[in-house]
Amino acid sequence: MHIPDAFIPIDQGLIYWIIALIFVALALRWARNELGEDKFPLVAVLAAGIFALQSFNLPVAMGTSGHLVGGALAAIVLGSPFAAIFILTLVLVVQGIMFGDGGITTMGANIINMGVIGGFVGFYSFKGLMKVTKSMPISAFIAAWLACLIPALACAVEMYLAGTFPLNVGLIAMGLYHAVIGVIEAIVTVAAIRLIMEVRPDLMDTGVKTSVGAGA
Amino acid sequence: MMDNKTFIIAGIIVALLIGALAVFLASGDPDGLESTALVVQGQKTITGDTPADAEIHEETAGRFSYSSPMPDYSLGDSLGPLGGLIAIIVGTILAFLVVLGLAYGIKLAGKPAP
Repeated sequence: MHIPDAFIPIDQGLIYWIIALIFVALALRWARNELGEDKFPLVAVLAAGIFALQSFNLPVAMGTSGHLVGGALAAIVLGSPFAAIFILTLVLVVQGIMFGDGGITTMGANIINMGVIGGFVGFYSFKGLMKVTKSMPISAFIAAWLACLIPALACAVEMYLAGTFPLNVGLIAMGLYHAVIGVIEAIVTVAAIRLIMEVRPDLMDTGVKTSVGAGA
Repeated sequence: MMDNKTFIIAGIIVALLIGALAVFLASGDPDGLESTALVVQGQKTITGDTPADAEIHEETAGRFSYSSPMPDYSLGDSLGPLGGLIAIIVGTILAFLVVLGLAYGIKLAGKPAP
């Protein structure tokens, strides 16, 4: 759902950029205050992995393909929606500048959709679902699915405001495609969390570790 | 448990493998946003296949345009999949370095002067 420059007028793009920069500033503050140096390898590896996964378009039928976004993954693994904003912003900068994947004037909107909305939806739905289900795979699966679907719906609304898509067709098509793409997002997210828990459980901050021995 | 160095190397190898597979196996169908654009422009139906000659009409008047060095993760047709591989490797390493660099940069900038 990388919006190209041609899909949003420049003045609207600027507004999204301003909103995005506020969240980027908060993400930088998070990185300074909350991100320990012990987490640096995980953050950087997640960025490399999310970049690679985003280049992998899988067929989802209906003449459409889709790839993982990674907002939920980053937010869940690092225990903060700002982790998703931090990583996704930089991945989007590399994609936009080097590969023309997502526009420059629309980068703010892309940061809002995939980083901010994806990160917040992914993180808080995971947190809420963990309380209810006590199951990491179920919680991460649903959280990742929502973190793919809801940014896509936000994108459809932005496309409507830009005059690019009519609202109803945009919402139905974007919603339908990303409801399917979201299943891939969900499976890969659960698998990636499992993998990281396997090799480096100490780096995880999902609240799913056993509470035995934790705390004072 | 893996040490940091092994974790980083293993992580980058996994990322590069995913990227390399993507060069050869990724679907050429439009993504969700592009597909929706084709539906809106009447070139495909919502659940139908994408015709081979479908092309998104892009509004260019009054819109910003920018030419990236490696558009569509490719170095052009002459290099083919090799160009795609180079693009993905460059992008994956770049994403890794930019994030690591900024993380260290913020920490350094945030530390009070000695």
